[in-house]
Amino acid sequence: MIPRRNVGIEPLWKIRARLWARSLRKNWGLFWESRIGPLGLAIILFFVLLMVAHPILMATVWDPRVYDPVVGFDRAMVGRHPAPPSWAHPLGTDPIGRDILSQLMWSTRSEFALGVTSALITVVIGTFIGAVCAYFGGVVDTFFMRLADLVMLFPFIALLMVLRSIVTLDLWRLALVMGVLSGFGGITIILKAQALTVKVKPYIEAAKVAGGSAFHIIRRHIVPNIMPLSFLYMMFNVTGAVFTEAVLSYFGLLDIRMSWGIMIHTAESAGYLGAFGQYWWLWAPPGAAITLLCFAFYLVGRGLDTVVNPRLRKR
Amino acid sequence: MLRYIGWRLAQISVTFFLFLTVVFLLFQAMPGDYTKQFIMNPRIPPEARRALQERLGLTGSVWDQYLHYVRNVFTGNLGISFQYYPREVWDVIKERLPRTAVLFLVADLLAFGVGYPLGKYIAWKRGKLSDYAVTVTGVLFYTIFTPLLALILLFVFSNVLGWFRSGGFLTPSVWLRPPVDPQVVFLLLAATIGGILALGGGIFFLTKRIGHPRPRNWARRSLILLLLACAALGWYRSGIGTYAWDIVWHMFLPVLAVTLISFGGTMLLMRDSMLEVIREDYITTAKAKGLPDKVVRDKHAARTALLPTITNFTIGLGFIVSGGIVTETMFSWKGMGLTYLEAVLQQDFPLAMGCLIFTGILVLLLHLVVDVLYAFLDPRISY
Amino acid sequence: MPLLDVRNLTMHYVTKMGDVHAVDDVSFMIEAGEAIGLVGESGCGKTSIALTLLRLLPDNARFLGGQVLFEGKDLTHIPEEEMRKIRWRGISMIFQAAMNSLNPVYRVGDQIIEAIQNHLPISYREAKRRVSELFELVGLPPEVIDRYPHEYSGGMKQRAVIAMALACDPKLVIADEPTTALDVIVQDHILRRIDEVRKKLNMAMMYISHDIAVIAEVSQRLGVMYAGCLVEFGDTVTIFKRPAHPYTVALMSAFPSIKGEKRKLQGLPGEPPDLLQPPLGCRFHPRCAYATAICAQRAPRYEEIEPGHLVACWNPRSGRA
Ligand SMILES: Nc1ncnc2c1ncn2[C@@H]1O[C@H](COP(=O)(O)OP(=O)(O)OP(=O)(O)O)[C@@H](O)[C@H]1O
Ligand code: SF4
Ligand SMILES: [Mg+2]
Repeated sequence: MIPRRNVGIEPLWKIRARLWARSLRKNWGLFWESRIGPLGLAIILFFVLLMVAHPILMATVWDPRVYDPVVGFDRAMVGRHPAPPSWAHPLGTDPIGRDILSQLMWSTRSEFALGVTSALITVVIGTFIGAVCAYFGGVVDTFFMRLADLVMLFPFIALLMVLRSIVTLDLWRLALVMGVLSGFGGITIILKAQALTVKVKPYIEAAKVAGGSAFHIIRRHIVPNIMPLSFLYMMFNVTGAVFTEAVLSYFGLLDIRMSWGIMIHTAESAGYLGAFGQYWWLWAPPGAAITLLCFAFYLVGRGLDTVVNPRLRKR
Repeated sequence: MLRYIGWRLAQISVTFFLFLTVVFLLFQAMPGDYTKQFIMNPRIPPEARRALQERLGLTGSVWDQYLHYVRNVFTGNLGISFQYYPREVWDVIKERLPRTAVLFLVADLLAFGVGYPLGKYIAWKRGKLSDYAVTVTGVLFYTIFTPLLALILLFVFSNVLGWFRSGGFLTPSVWLRPPVDPQVVFLLLAATIGGILALGGGIFFLTKRIGHPRPRNWARRSLILLLLACAALGWYRSGIGTYAWDIVWHMFLPVLAVTLISFGGTMLLMRDSMLEVIREDYITTAKAKGLPDKVVRDKHAARTALLPTITNFTIGLGFIVSGGIVTETMFSWKGMGLTYLEAVLQQDFPLAMGCLIFTGILVLLLHLVVDVLYAFLDPRISY
Repeated sequence: MPLLDVRNLTMHYVTKMGDVHAVDDVSFMIEAGEAIGLVGESGCGKTSIALTLLRLLPDNARFLGGQVLFEGKDLTHIPEEEMRKIRWRGISMIFQAAMNSLNPVYRVGDQIIEAIQNHLPISYREAKRRVSELFELVGLPPEVIDRYPHEYSGGMKQRAVIAMALACDPKLVIADEPTTALDVIVQDHILRRIDEVRKKLNMAMMYISHDIAVIAEVSQRLGVMYAGCLVEFGDTVTIFKRPAHPYTVALMSAFPSIKGEKRKLQGLPGEPPDLLQPPLGCRFHPRCAYATAICAQRAPRYEEIEPGHLVACWNPRSGRA
């Protein structure tokens, strides 16, 4: 017996992969053309580099007793902390003798972890609710839309300030709370609007006629179509999360051992911000890092916007 | 139009109730009731706590407490601040709310005044170097870490230029023996700003009836100049001008900071919405009519692009309020934001709750104003 | 001197996939007060020609050559400021998307007054009087002048747009599918109305349509376009009687004498060409029943085969197909 084979017909996954690669190439081209997107991406890559370099430096040239971001202390310079930049400490030391560059690089990891986790939670919730609201409409829709209004009304930082009196906020809890809260916020309105444009497409009707369950249609047809927009809003949400963490840390309201916001907080509570021109290395590097990372993710978001939204393109 | 506004008002009221409820639940979730601070404060006798508990209805069931709470909110009976004991919370808020309102109003108007024309300009020059440069600058200010911005502003304006010596609301040395209360001066200032805005709006709508654009614009410009001149003269002749000027002087940096962090949002919204409008057929038609490029841009493209910009503006409000809290703190501008932060840090929960509620009211009022404005600007809303 | 003399007009759109050859070496003339029609299937470049004349092309369009002589002046080379004065006063246009030609935030009347006051030194009141005259002309009640576009029906918008195009007494009006959005009866009515107005005001008119039957009645001369090229141009009667280009012949058989009874283009195998890579030689050759060897190699010259009848074809037909 001759084994049955599809001679000459490419397997489906290969065709899919090729289509996928083609659309990726096209979208990458559009993203590249936006010019601001690649700029943001370059900055993000720079921070990734910092993040990766830290453990390597700690294992090779940096003595952990001196350079540990939290418990390090340079004994050689006792009495001179906070010391200005020098060869041993390229960005100087903080009021309790820790190396600023090491703190800066070490914190990058937690900023990424926080930003990405929180944004991921937001987007998953937002996408799901947006799709559900668009698909079912009615009471479900009204409920979530009013909820979104409410969440948008709340100044985030103010809310987290109270929340912190109820639960201690460490990095993961903060990411979770921010992620969930903004997941019910404005993003649902935007994604719902997008899902509504998908819902009227004929293939949705076809899937319904074919007996697809609501869940199946949402998962297989609606969600994939609003994914690009979700991905875009994820970038904006990373900006929001990093920013919020920095502000709360700066006010000393979080239970985090080290972050860019805490670095400035340390400088402030030790009284070094008053004469800021003099001790610039205490606030300028972490301040610039927070700003740059937020800036970078926002730019990437806007760059993706030109990919997702053809009306913003040049032609 | 009235029906539209009424409908929005109803929606906003519902949102407000939900908001009140959430605030209530939030403070319910705290360990102990929020008068517990009164036990620890030696300045406050224990009977006072009991009295306050009674007054705020904190003794009954949760549902009773909720009803009591809602009634209290509407009667302004928010309890006593523990930081400022024995001042009433409402009394503190009454003093601080106008400061925040004025700060935001002025800064947002300025931000709009900068963001709107810039957005329209860069959209028109899309893809040119100026587009990229201004977009990147806008995003930078939009995402800048607010304390960093404040530090930089302080550094530039106090250290380098030496214009301002301190933050705060006023310079004590100027106010040694003031003929009037600073609060009164401030409220008068606020009233002046409000009056100018209201009359300006009035002038705008009254002159709308003048059909021909040239005399219309002329009338508008001269009437508004007259208005501003009257206001300036009034303050100059009032005898308390120096005091008012001191306050205005102190407002400068916070207003600048809030303006800088919020103009980017308006600008980017305007740019994107312009880019969409530019593709519309009526823009081609306007060009085909032989209208000058500037008229097509300003009268046809920008005016229509303004509508989505206004609608989206409210989405960013929470962000601006957050930025406001930080700004007020950095410049020690004693508005709602700073008061709220202090209250939270000192666990002065009655005051914190009051601040949260009134911030919510402020934001909702802004929503309403924006809605009314929108209804005026979009002829398609006629209901 | 003809009112408008278009010579060798060539224009491409630059896209990611390559250049769209939208207008290729197009030449024709319009005399003052005359109505001509431009016919061709969707996507053959009719609107592109109109936009090139008015210099209203989108950013990605590249003007590659040719002349547009309007009253002897070459519009392709005059400064923008001068061009602005010619728009609407010299040449105005009824856009294909009439529904979207009105700005939603301004009153319809004001949008027309704006055009008038932009070109003529008259007062707002006078301009408004003029608008009500125009409204009467196109059959709109004067009380809708002060309404907003969203308060108009589709047909009313169409009429308003026509009124707007006539507002400055232009010498030439380009009417790009002025009636497609309307039902057949109204279509006919409006076209006739435009024609009456044209005769009354002695304007030249360039009708654009994909439907030869619609505009043949109101145009004295006809141009037939195929894939960016003008393939035949001549008297309406001549073209109906003796179509010379094989594509025109095919068009005629699709629209036999009885109006409204449309069939698909008959005897035309294949698809309309991709303007990204138009066929070499004569662009019609892959579908042409009369193609010869040379057709695939060299583009035919656009030549007069009888007085006033121009055709671009190596093997022109003659007589009724
Ligand atoms: N901005 C543009 N960029 C790229 N290609 C374009 C652009 N505008 C039009 N085209 C292409 O140019 C060709 C001619 O378009 P044009 O609008 O002139 O056609 P048309 O004859 O008016 O068609 P219709 O009858 O459908 O209006 C079409 O193939 C179209 O796809
Ligand atoms: S030139 Fe040749 S291919 Fe083209 S229309 Fe004439 S006969 Fe047909
Ligand atoms: Mg067209």
